[in-house]
Amino acid sequence: MTAAVVLLALSALVVFQEQKATTVWNGVYTAEQAKRGAALYANSCGSCHGLELNGGESAPPLTGGDFMSNWSGLTVGDLFERIRTTMPADRPGTLTREQTANVVAHILNVGQFPAGTTELSTRTETLKQISIVAIKPEH
Amino acid sequence: MLFRKISPMLGLLCVTLPLSAQSGGQPSTKNGDWPYYTADLKGTKYSPLDQINADNFNKLEVAWRFKTDNLGPRPEYKLEGTPLVVKGVLYTTGGTRRSVVALDAKTGEQLWVYQFREGKRAAIAPRQLSGRGVSYWTDGKGDDRIVFVTTGYRLVELNAHTGAVIPGFGKDGMVDLKVGMTTGTGKQIDLENGEAGLHSTPLVVKDVVIVGSSFKEGMTVVTHDNTKGLVRAYDAHNGKLLWTFNTIPRPGEFGNETWENGSWATNGNTGVWTQMTVDEELGLVFLPVESPTSDYYGGERPGDNLYGESLVCVDLKTGKRKWHFQIVHHPIWDYDLSSAPILADITVDGKAIKAVALPSKEAFLYVFDRVTGKPVWPIEERPVPQSDVPLEKTSPTQPFPTKPPRYARNYINVPDDLIDFTPEMRAQAKDNIARYKTGPMFLPPVVGDPKGFLGAMQLGNASGGTNWPGAGYDPETHIVYAQANQSAVSPISLRKPPEGFSDIHYVLGRNDTEFRVSEGPGFGSAADAPQPVRTRPGRGGAAAAGAAPAAPAAAPAGGLTVQGLSLVKPPYAVISAINLDRGDIQWQVPYGETPDAVRNNPALKGMNIGNTGQGGSVGLVVTKTLVVLGDSQMTSVTHPRAAMLRAYDKANGKEVGSVPMPAPQSGSPMTYSVDGKQYIVVAVSGGAYSGEYIAYKLPEQE
Repeated sequence: MTAAVVLLALSALVVFQEQKATTVWNGVYTAEQAKRGAALYANSCGSCHGLELNGGESAPPLTGGDFMSNWSGLTVGDLFERIRTTMPADRPGTLTREQTANVVAHILNVGQFPAGTTELSTRTETLKQISIVAIKPEH
Repeated sequence: MLFRKISPMLGLLCVTLPLSAQSGGQPSTKNGDWPYYTADLKGTKYSPLDQINADNFNKLEVAWRFKTDNLGPRPEYKLEGTPLVVKGVLYTTGGTRRSVVALDAKTGEQLWVYQFREGKRAAIAPRQLSGRGVSYWTDGKGDDRIVFVTTGYRLVELNAHTGAVIPGFGKDGMVDLKVGMTTGTGKQIDLENGEAGLHSTPLVVKDVVIVGSSFKEGMTVVTHDNTKGLVRAYDAHNGKLLWTFNTIPRPGEFGNETWENGSWATNGNTGVWTQMTVDEELGLVFLPVESPTSDYYGGERPGDNLYGESLVCVDLKTGKRKWHFQIVHHPIWDYDLSSAPILADITVDGKAIKAVALPSKEAFLYVFDRVTGKPVWPIEERPVPQSDVPLEKTSPTQPFPTKPPRYARNYINVPDDLIDFTPEMRAQAKDNIARYKTGPMFLPPVVGDPKGFLGAMQLGNASGGTNWPGAGYDPETHIVYAQANQSAVSPISLRKPPEGFSDIHYVLGRNDTEFRVSEGPGFGSAADAPQPVRTRPGRGGAAAAGAAPAAPAAAPAGGLTVQGLSLVKPPYAVISAINLDRGDIQWQVPYGETPDAVRNNPALKGMNIGNTGQGGSVGLVVTKTLVVLGDSQMTSVTHPRAAMLRAYDKANGKEVGSVPMPAPQSGSPMTYSVDGKQYIVVAVSGGAYSGEYIAYKLPEQE
């Protein structure tokens, strides 16, 4: 009984660690998703954050060192939630979860994180397992 | 009744609290107070406190925290207030409803909160979120009041001890500041829907309350005939209007002819949205005036457009113009005048001068004799590039100070200013920027063309140099301390507005991209802003995106950045000490520490890049020995993930200590002392972290 619990806990830990090991460098979105996100971005985000994601007077950049410094160490889920609950600033809540995920994919794509074969999830708890890491981890 | 008292016990609470505060008289930094947004009326941000110093700064610990999430229906992520402290009580604004709170300055315990539910008027306000804080008025005999401007542009006075409105002030404790705001030749704006607001703190001097005005961001205006800016003074006792200064002069007033073809009548803005300062002894008020409509296009307003982007000195008693200096003629770069002017009594070549020094987005410190308006060092009119945008008539010359030198980069000098860690990076930067028009300062915006230039490359207008947090000044050493951003790369492109959108010929944007209205920071985030019903597209992101326009073909992967690094070379921002007796820069150091993404960038592996500093625009506090300001960015290489609040030695700019903050500094820090203990309070927010005031002090026990 005790052993089983320990085993269960251990396996959960292993799974947890494996999930934690996922970073934005693991191809966590698809190119197609980023493309859809780019269109949404131009329409919903670009006027404040800049069409090149370079920011402006009214909003911070969403790419480059300034952006990564504020998000590296957090998760894609944190970024997703920030957008979902507060963006676009003039009409928060108007993007669906899918649209929000697509915009996040676009941001990752512009940030030159590699695309993969699986789309970004729309579930916050799943996205919280993907770490935003500025520098590609060495394996 | 819209006003709500939150705490029914507040009367009781506040009778007991400020017992130590019954001494009366005017509060002052000399007594450990911080009674004005900028510490004093002179805009110095200076406090003589020195308990916290180079030897112990690293030992600072959190004394208390105050989260502003629940001061409105949703959290805010851009908390910009700088609190006041008078006699042991801290006053500030916070939250998406811009509530006013009074806290025990020793513990952070809430004493009272005031909120005013303005509904739609706040929801559509041009300046939303909690603003920069409050002001304090006292008769010196126990009638102590908090003065602030609501999101919906009402001037309110509260009893500093209870938070109750002052019934005898205006109507039921408030003055409707929209009354008297006009468009055109004098049409009163609608009190509910009319565009006017303010998020700076009122200027309270003697028995006068002076308030400016601000409007929506001027990038994509719906009309050039926007609300006209005003500066007004009210009687602190009763809210009676004392005088009005027209920042767009009317016919017969000085400067009206600088609006050619009678264009004063059909243009607006030109308000004062940042902090003003005053010389109490000389009775002079200094107004830093913003841009006219619109920020980047002035084809509808030929002429120099006084007092657009001018420093104006008016009489405290009458509001009459004493002198002015226009920093930018016919403004079309959104330079505004962003910072509180600093009053400085200096000695130049043996001669005592009562000066006023103006920090700027241009990263020039403009210094004038504040009595005469004459520049302390020559400011030269020099030829500048001219616009080729239809109907735009740029000024042939612009003013350039000869001293002090610019204290940050204020245009991109290609290729010298481009990133140069490696030749490959320099080459890519040149490639990236080749699609944009580049040139010296005052390079006019262009009509963006995918076959030509995508925009005119700017640095230091919209968010460069010293912005609204302003600078600080040590009145003993005559040195200005200024943080300045020098990596805010922003290409400016104009386009024709879509049919029926605006009566102005050009707005910000590009013809090859979908037109979008540019809103200001936090727009739509105020309490009571509508949360629209979400339209439900079909399942599947592709279907959802079906109606959206194609992404702009011109956006290269990585944007303007070079391998994730800024297009321009470091330092990305700087802190400068500018000696006002000599008109030179005494020292200059990078601001903050190298961002992780730079430090760890694989392309820079093995290279010694030094401290690059970090981009951002923040305010600071000057103490007896230190300049204290926090990072704009989170870092985690040399310490656990944090933005650091740092102390710099005033004498040489050397960093002498730092303590972690959980989020970037978003409001200017301040300092005060209660019962012999010095505190530093700073507003933090941003990224995933919602607004919070944090107080630091030294440990009770070593």
